[in-house]
Amino acid sequence: MVAARRPYPRVMAGVVIAAFVVLTACGGGSTTTTNHVLVVDKSFDMKTADPQREFEVSGGIVAKALYSTLLTFKGSDSATPVPAVASSYTASADAKTYTFKLRTDIKFSDGTALTSADVLFSFNRLINIKGNPSFLLDGVTVSAPDTSTVVLTSKSANPAIPFIIPNPALGIVNSKVVKAHGGTDQPGADKSDTAESFLNTTSAGSGPYTLKSFSTTSEVDLTANPTYWGPKPYYNTVVIRNIQAPAQLINIQKGSNEIALDLSPDQASTLSGSSSLQVKAIPGPNVFFLFSNNNAKISSITPNKHFQNAIRYGLDYASFVQLAGAGAIQTPGVVPSMFLGALPQSAAVSRDVTKAKAELAASGIANPTVNLGFPSDFTLNGISFSTLAQKVQANLQEVGIKVNLTGSPISVALADYRAGTEQLGLWLWGPDYPDPNDYLVFLPGQLVGLRAGWAAGANPTLEALGTKAGSTTDNTARGQLFQQIQNQLNTDGPFFPLIQPGQVVVATKGVSGADYNPTWTLDVSGAGG
Amino acid sequence: MTSAGPAANPEIQPGWRLRLPSRPFVRFLGRRLAALFLLGLGITFVAFVLTELVPGDPAAANLGQRAIGDPAAVQAFREHYGLDKPLPIQYGLYLQHLVTGDLGESEQSHRPVRTDLSEYGPATAELAVTSILIAYLLGITLGVVAAVRRNRLTDQVLRVISLGGISMPTFWLALVALYVFFFKLGWVPGSGRLDPGLLPAPHVTGLYTVDALLSGQFDVLANALQHLILPACVLAAYNIGLLTRFTRSAVLEVINNDYVQAARAKGLPERTVVLRHVLKAALPPIITVGGLAFANVMTGTVLVESIFSWPGIGQYAFHSATTLDLPAIMGVSLFVAVVYIVVNFTVDILYGVVDPRIRVA
Repeated sequence: MVAARRPYPRVMAGVVIAAFVVLTACGGGSTTTTNHVLVVDKSFDMKTADPQREFEVSGGIVAKALYSTLLTFKGSDSATPVPAVASSYTASADAKTYTFKLRTDIKFSDGTALTSADVLFSFNRLINIKGNPSFLLDGVTVSAPDTSTVVLTSKSANPAIPFIIPNPALGIVNSKVVKAHGGTDQPGADKSDTAESFLNTTSAGSGPYTLKSFSTTSEVDLTANPTYWGPKPYYNTVVIRNIQAPAQLINIQKGSNEIALDLSPDQASTLSGSSSLQVKAIPGPNVFFLFSNNNAKISSITPNKHFQNAIRYGLDYASFVQLAGAGAIQTPGVVPSMFLGALPQSAAVSRDVTKAKAELAASGIANPTVNLGFPSDFTLNGISFSTLAQKVQANLQEVGIKVNLTGSPISVALADYRAGTEQLGLWLWGPDYPDPNDYLVFLPGQLVGLRAGWAAGANPTLEALGTKAGSTTDNTARGQLFQQIQNQLNTDGPFFPLIQPGQVVVATKGVSGADYNPTWTLDVSGAGG
Repeated sequence: MTSAGPAANPEIQPGWRLRLPSRPFVRFLGRRLAALFLLGLGITFVAFVLTELVPGDPAAANLGQRAIGDPAAVQAFREHYGLDKPLPIQYGLYLQHLVTGDLGESEQSHRPVRTDLSEYGPATAELAVTSILIAYLLGITLGVVAAVRRNRLTDQVLRVISLGGISMPTFWLALVALYVFFFKLGWVPGSGRLDPGLLPAPHVTGLYTVDALLSGQFDVLANALQHLILPACVLAAYNIGLLTRFTRSAVLEVINNDYVQAARAKGLPERTVVLRHVLKAALPPIITVGGLAFANVMTGTVLVESIFSWPGIGQYAFHSATTLDLPAIMGVSLFVAVVYIVVNFTVDILYGVVDPRIRVA
């Protein structure tokens, strides 16, 4: 007997397919972007929207939009701190005490007036949470003598304070609201502060935007803050999406976003002919450098000064710049070109193979073989450390130095680098704040100096110069001291500054003010139509 | 109180009786659950030991360039994540917490791993299930067509297509698909689960399509489906090829059997013969491939999620591994293990459903 036909499965399948077609058709395939919605594509390293906990690139963009700071920078400038919540500030002659006078017309997004108590709470919370940005106020005590005055006192002279204050991690939170949701600024806040989850859903600031939705994985939505005290931002809504660079390249050409922040110089070069896009490639603030370990326990070869000079003159700096692409420059010293105290391009070391060979001969080391550590899986600004390492290997081979590439994944390589156990190391230093004091870490006994086996006391002249530069209040004199330090580093130090890779920002033609700033990457409130 | 006999329940007709699970089945289920427990325990142990063997430092990987030089920050980090304790104690504490469903706190997101998994898991589940459905629908259909039209032009074309699906690297296919269907043709949106600025429906399951349907937000549903279709098809490509080849050979094995010839001799239409008699007999090996197809989907998600900026388990696993985020690595390992076991268990059950000769012994 022939079984009876059962039409239902077919009918149901038809219904499902029809529903899918209708539903997908009614969506139209377009985005919901309007003229006043700014879509920014960024590859997320986002962890939190809590300003006192964030210290990531994408976290900085969000915190800058949500929270005001005492001082700020204009556009892409990072050399001149200008008033924001503080209408003015004064520094003591010894650069140990900074007094900030606050504006009295600033309100948080809930209408509460911003006072010095909120600044005190925010700064002490930053210190006591002991998170990634806590070091910004190392050795600093905060006080609020009255409702419109804040005083920062450092144990030692700290002329970098005005350059540190604009960092979004020092964004001022509404202390009453944050306390009500588990926040504390007391010692032990690293364990007792529980306000992060609240701040990941609701902003408590006085910045140009408020938080509409926050996801560390997909996107962050911001809405213009109606009580914002500064100029109203052009875009009512900002969407910051977590998009990887290859998709950013397609999206920006397709017009489904207004700004792309992670394109490499190579990717950006494919857009140079586009009439609908503006491509900005400028030297970025990251400094890529090579070091030769000064610790004889790590290597008997690498501490040799002649050997180090052989490396210094054996590297083909021009080819590194060429490899890095648009916007990249050779960095003459460890302080990047846009900061106070940077060396001029004329002071940069040039390749001299003959001199390098002579230095190697003077070292008394025949056919040296050394290991080069680097993060093999790490790429920044479109530059792979593996490719750079191969170039170092090839350059030094010409001089007569055999380099074994011993790269490893960054989580492993970092441990070796930070333990100071690499013979040669290829790394980068990104600015924590836009001031040359951040680069004193390269001196003997300091953070990066120790990683290169350069112990305290190894070069008393240079160390004394560092101490003086770090505490000089006059910026002109400070700049000159830092240039002196770098010239000496380029002669006696174990570091070989290579390049500042290009920083690329691509925006659609209609967007103005999409400027890269080393402190917060992008101020979305500065973007205009 | 009325009797609960068959007559009282209109659903149960005379001649029918409720079937309680048989004893062998209960034993089978028990064995599977025990295996799940032991496997989970084993996975936590292996993941723990392997992560410890990697010569990296979670503090170095997670703290910033400055904070790592600050002993107070490093100490706070180690204390917070229990890294200051000996390894056996760390493992014991992990298991102790695991019993209460606490998977620890992620070092990269600073959130409970359970919260992370509940956010990333549904994104991957939505993508994986859609991909599997597409793969089964197309793979079986094409396989049957190829078998029925054996050695004809259709079969040759399908062979090329299926081999192409199996051979093409997923990341390459994803980039090409994004370029062609989003950039050039504009048929589908490019990245993410929704258009920028469009908020998902209130969270119920975490599956955007289901949540949108439940809340009646059909614009969100349409948008989520549009975003889903391209990555799901890319992820399905390999499995479509695999299932096409398996279905073809499974169908060919039974298509000329006596009972099939008998069905044809009775005058049944060829479509009925194929769908009702041939395909049913060919199903067990096809179901077996389902387990493999699922494994392909799980490995493929890492690349597809990255290219389509899909915030799922694949991306989470990748970031966890590169930052030595031990609690997250353990959480992902457990999650994947449980899903695997459930999928294989389902496959075992389906054997019995499609082929009564296969019984749980």
